[in-house]
Amino acid sequence: MSFLIPCPHCGPRSVYEFRFGGEARKRPAPEADAAAWAEYLHVRRNAAGVQTEWWFHRAGCRQWFQAERHTVTNHVRRAFRVEEETGRDAL
Amino acid sequence: MRFEFNGTPVEARPGDTVASALYRAGQRVFSRSFKYHRPRGLLCGAGKCPNCLMQVDGVPNVRVCVTPARDGLVVRHQHAYPSLDFDWLSLAQRFDAFLPVGWYYKTFRSHALWRAAEPFIRRAAGLGVVPADPAGEYEHAFRQADVAVIGGGPSGLEAALAHAGAGSEVVLVDDQPELGGHRRYRKRAGPEPTDLIARVRSHPAISVLAGAYCFGLYEGNLLGVVQPAPHARCRERLLHLRAAHVVVATGVYEAPLLFPNNDLVGVMLSTAAQRLIHLHGLPPGKRAAVIGRGVRAEEVLADLRSAGVETHLLIAPEEVERAEGAASVSALRARGERFPCDVVVVCGHLVPDAGLLSQAGARLDWNAQVGAFCPAGLPPTMSAAGEVTGAGLSAAAPLPAPVAPHKRAFVCVCTDATTQDLCDALGEGFDHMETLKRYTTTTMGPCQGRMCQLNAIAVCARQTGRGMQETGVTTSRPPNPGVTLGALAGPRHHPIRRTPLHHQHADRGAVWLDMGEWKRPRYYRTAASSDETTCVRAEYAAVRQRVGLIDVSTLGKLEVRGRDAGRLLDKVYTHRFSDLAVGRARYATLCDDHGILLDDGTISRLAEDRYFLTTTTGNLDFVEQWLLWWLAGTGQHVHIANVTGGLAAVNLAGPLARDTLRKLTALDLGSQAFSYMACRQAEVAGIPAILLRIGFVGETGWEIHVPAECGPDLWDALLDAGREFGIRPFGVEAQRLLRLEKKHVIIGVDTDALTTPYEAGLNWVVRREKEDFIGRHALSGSPRSPRRESLVGLVVEGEQTPEDGSAVMINGRPAGRVTSARFSPHVGAPIALAWAPEAKAVEGARVEVRIRGRAVTARVTLEAFYDPEGARLRA
Ligand code: FES
Ligand SMILES: [Zn+2]
Repeated sequence: MSFLIPCPHCGPRSVYEFRFGGEARKRPAPEADAAAWAEYLHVRRNAAGVQTEWWFHRAGCRQWFQAERHTVTNHVRRAFRVEEETGRDAL
Repeated sequence: MRFEFNGTPVEARPGDTVASALYRAGQRVFSRSFKYHRPRGLLCGAGKCPNCLMQVDGVPNVRVCVTPARDGLVVRHQHAYPSLDFDWLSLAQRFDAFLPVGWYYKTFRSHALWRAAEPFIRRAAGLGVVPADPAGEYEHAFRQADVAVIGGGPSGLEAALAHAGAGSEVVLVDDQPELGGHRRYRKRAGPEPTDLIARVRSHPAISVLAGAYCFGLYEGNLLGVVQPAPHARCRERLLHLRAAHVVVATGVYEAPLLFPNNDLVGVMLSTAAQRLIHLHGLPPGKRAAVIGRGVRAEEVLADLRSAGVETHLLIAPEEVERAEGAASVSALRARGERFPCDVVVVCGHLVPDAGLLSQAGARLDWNAQVGAFCPAGLPPTMSAAGEVTGAGLSAAAPLPAPVAPHKRAFVCVCTDATTQDLCDALGEGFDHMETLKRYTTTTMGPCQGRMCQLNAIAVCARQTGRGMQETGVTTSRPPNPGVTLGALAGPRHHPIRRTPLHHQHADRGAVWLDMGEWKRPRYYRTAASSDETTCVRAEYAAVRQRVGLIDVSTLGKLEVRGRDAGRLLDKVYTHRFSDLAVGRARYATLCDDHGILLDDGTISRLAEDRYFLTTTTGNLDFVEQWLLWWLAGTGQHVHIANVTGGLAAVNLAGPLARDTLRKLTALDLGSQAFSYMACRQAEVAGIPAILLRIGFVGETGWEIHVPAECGPDLWDALLDAGREFGIRPFGVEAQRLLRLEKKHVIIGVDTDALTTPYEAGLNWVVRREKEDFIGRHALSGSPRSPRRESLVGLVVEGEQTPEDGSAVMINGRPAGRVTSARFSPHVGAPIALAWAPEAKAVEGARVEVRIRGRAVTARVTLEAFYDPEGARLRA
């Protein structure tokens, strides 16, 4: 594993500078039913293809952002600041 | 220049490799083969075959034909008992009928049999010896370039100049000590590119890494490059070279031909002979038989003659019957004749060195015209230049004819697999290259198939009646050539973190405890005693009866500021913090959405929009990232600053702590004015400080945070002020005992990856009425609802203290475990925190604890062992 991630703040850097935060998913509302919470807590899509993920630039800007990575080729199509894309309730 | 070989000094000349110096000194056997222990001599002379692996300065499996000779090297043979020239284990070849390919699968059907035989097989097989004490240092370095060119022959040089001319920054990597590629030793193939070399060397945009080899291409065009001995103190440097574009100009290498006894000492590849002649001024022998045809063979013949080697006329590959000789070659049989010689020079197959390209995803297509697999379908970030593409090649030798059963030639010299072995395996049904490879181990030796892959494919193709393309190459994977584990591991670098008070502790006789990267005092030796139990007991007594001082600078410290700071903390922590009054502090726990306890600490509100957080020592990074994560994308106005390194912190605790601190601050320290769980900002000993009235150890106490550079002054001032009260610094061990008596939980020690706050007895920290927080869903049920188990206190009977981790037994069965245990001076018995089944989480219940194999009775207690009402804490 040695691909590059184009950090939206710092530019392309080695993946070793980052911490992986898993697939970006919407957290259910507090009053959502048990099934929705079980799905959120225990079920993963495990996609073979492009997936939107959380990454944290540990050895750089120390910011969380999201990236679209192809899970088979590890090609990162793009990375972006969450506030600029998905609005204020990304989590 | 002189080095040592098996204890004997060997002279070397400038430009010599270890192998060339040994060859000049008359050494002909360089190793013993893997399975049969047959003597083996120089074969490729280019670092591409397994024949010259030796132990150099303790490092095993060094390819001495590409290791520059240096003064004082210590070189030893390996894998021969007792010596290279006489090896008992060579008797193995007499039994080769019993050692067919896969013989261990067939012979050792029972595990017991294999276990008995394994030590002997491991000794008989295998290569060098792993050094017990790996001497020397290894380095890692990182580098980026627009273009990386691998190979310093004419086409590599031209590619480098072309890219540099177009404005790119170029790194040129070549595994030879000098640039020029094959032109350095194939003098008749064309002039040495001296002009190109000079232009490359002087070009400001090209940096040259000569004598460095590239062992693999990884994702994102990352090249692994090893530079041996980059400077005197470094054995090897591993360079992580990343390039936007990679030009592979690795040329071709030569691979052997198949004929019986083709592995005898003295049978060498033509390029090895040419290297000896042109790079080291060494005639490879006295009398040579040359196998080959065409221009290349003529070139080799001419080189040998001009070096003074007597030669026979050229012998065409298909005319060869066998080589003869006992240990080394004495004659070649061909066309029914016997040609006496001491060296057989083989013009072998020229194989494009395309490993890096196929690692990048290129195909290798069979090209019958040039007799080689040539790369095709390169990714856009790669290109190839020169002979590696197949350009300029012509088939040097015909591929091996169908193998006659009695004709046994070595295909894979690394693993001693013969044509016979391959045919047997094919007959057993392993007729696909990938399965043939795995079953016979052909191409899986140290050379990674460079010497044997083409021949193995050819044998497989002929025997199965398929074409070369259809048979196909096996997958190329890095590393090739092999790399040392030392180079991969890199420098022996272990970071150590010291608190700002480190020297204060050292001066007071601290005995250190490693906590992650941190060094913390475990306890302090005194003039009276250096015994741990005695010292810890004295430190404990000082805190309980007088006053003690401990360095808690390793705590994680975060400042969370901004309009929405309280909102963020409400969301992330289980308690509520937006309603915390300025000047107050609160115990804080953090869960994930599974309701699992992740960390704890304190949160103090220093101002309306300013909170001061502490985290456990090991979890700082995690907590900071966790807060940032839940902040990301919310648009909230919060700023998080990690101030851990900027602050020193101490905890002053004990019944006389107030008297001590009063001497150093104007602050009203009265139990009303500065009550339990209050926080203040004030000067202590003239130093600006944050003071928290908290009590991990269960006594009146203050946690005092000051700028790191003022830490030593604060420490000294507190010890001075406390001298009249009998103050004593205490270490982590005393602190653990003190907190255990208070039943204060340490997250990660007393809890595990499944512990909820309810199980840990921390119901009061969960504010279920909050609209939302991380973990709310999982913790929304009643704290009393069925639980896995509970964390309880135990008072153990008898004298012996259980070890942390001891089993809790009920009716003779394990039912829980002890997480922390110490002898409590206050209780006068061993006490513990332990996980016990819910049914036993009752005051006064009895369980058993297993202490060194014996079951000992223990009584459950749900209250703190010391001061359960917290009167002393609040005093
Ligand atoms: S000769 Fe080296 S792996 Fe076969
Ligand atoms: Zn960044």
